[in-house]
Amino acid sequence: MWKRKPMRCDEVRSQLADYAVGGLGRRRRAEISAHVETCQACRADLAALARTGELLSDLELESAPAHAWDSIRYRLQEKSRPTHRRAWESGWIVAGLALAVLVVAAVTFLPGLKPEPETVVAVQVDAEMQASLEGHLAAVWSAPLADAAEVGLRLDSLEDDS
Amino acid sequence: MNEERDPVQALVVRARSGSLEAFEGIYRACQAGVYTFILSQVREPELAADLTQQTFLRAWEAFPRLRQAGAFRGWLHRIAANLVRDEVKSGRVRLEVPQSQLTDGELPEPAAERRDGPEHAALQSELRRHVWRALDSLPADQRAVVVMHHLEGMPVTEIAAAMQVRPGTVMSRLARAREALRQRLSEYVEAEAHEM
Repeated sequence: MWKRKPMRCDEVRSQLADYAVGGLGRRRRAEISAHVETCQACRADLAALARTGELLSDLELESAPAHAWDSIRYRLQEKSRPTHRRAWESGWIVAGLALAVLVVAAVTFLPGLKPEPETVVAVQVDAEMQASLEGHLAAVWSAPLADAAEVGLRLDSLEDDS
Repeated sequence: MNEERDPVQALVVRARSGSLEAFEGIYRACQAGVYTFILSQVREPELAADLTQQTFLRAWEAFPRLRQAGAFRGWLHRIAANLVRDEVKSGRVRLEVPQSQLTDGELPEPAAERRDGPEHAALQSELRRHVWRALDSLPADQRAVVVMHHLEGMPVTEIAAAMQVRPGTVMSRLARAREALRQRLSEYVEAEAHEM
């Protein structure tokens, strides 16, 4: 069976920190373990790395200033207040919009409230028509019943046609 | 760790429903971790305190987007990391400090650690300052994983979620950080290791 060559010191040392923090694969860890058992220099290196880890773990966490929570709570409460005011204001905005929609709907759909549209017909008047109109107006002015008489005559002629 | 986190998870469930009291409980449990993480990045206590507040305010607003209460701590740190990144982008803060601005000073004698009494406590305190200073010399991404892993006790998967990287990347950063710190603190850790 093929057997791997034992690791040299320089190979071990280049990976000793990874080994010390619990890294590397199982096989490589086993190889390094076997090496440090027999090599005093590498064992001392590993011990120094382990001691460094202990020094780090001996450090203590620093606390934030004592008043920090009060400040956070105050800011959270401040943030929640405008939220309530906005909700209150937005309620009035919604009510106002609803009222506006109701007014528009009432004006649009209720017959009594709907204003009559004004019909404007644009007529292009040329010189010939202008003269005819003026003649007609003069006739109407001088004989107010002429229009009615003409309408009667026209109706008679329509009845005759049918 | 789970025993410690369960109460926070229960608080997260209540806080998501709008309980400010539960949110205060979360703040009490997590503020030191968040503040230390931010401080390790920006190095300015006042700015770190402000960003810590902002982190919790954003968390409160973003609760509806949190899918699992169990993922809360990683999620909270991601908010903090994003705030730090915004500060860096705006140019208000620098994550890296030139080596010339870092001073080593003298490390306390290793044997002193084994003594008891006020002298021991003073030396321990002095040693911690040295370790913090050494930590400050690391790149920001390494500082971040060291604080989350060694100080907060977060598992690698949770750190990976917070930093939005693969777990292998977190392991690698931890290893590189350990290597660099071992060099920086060699006077102390090697002397002691050889005594073993």
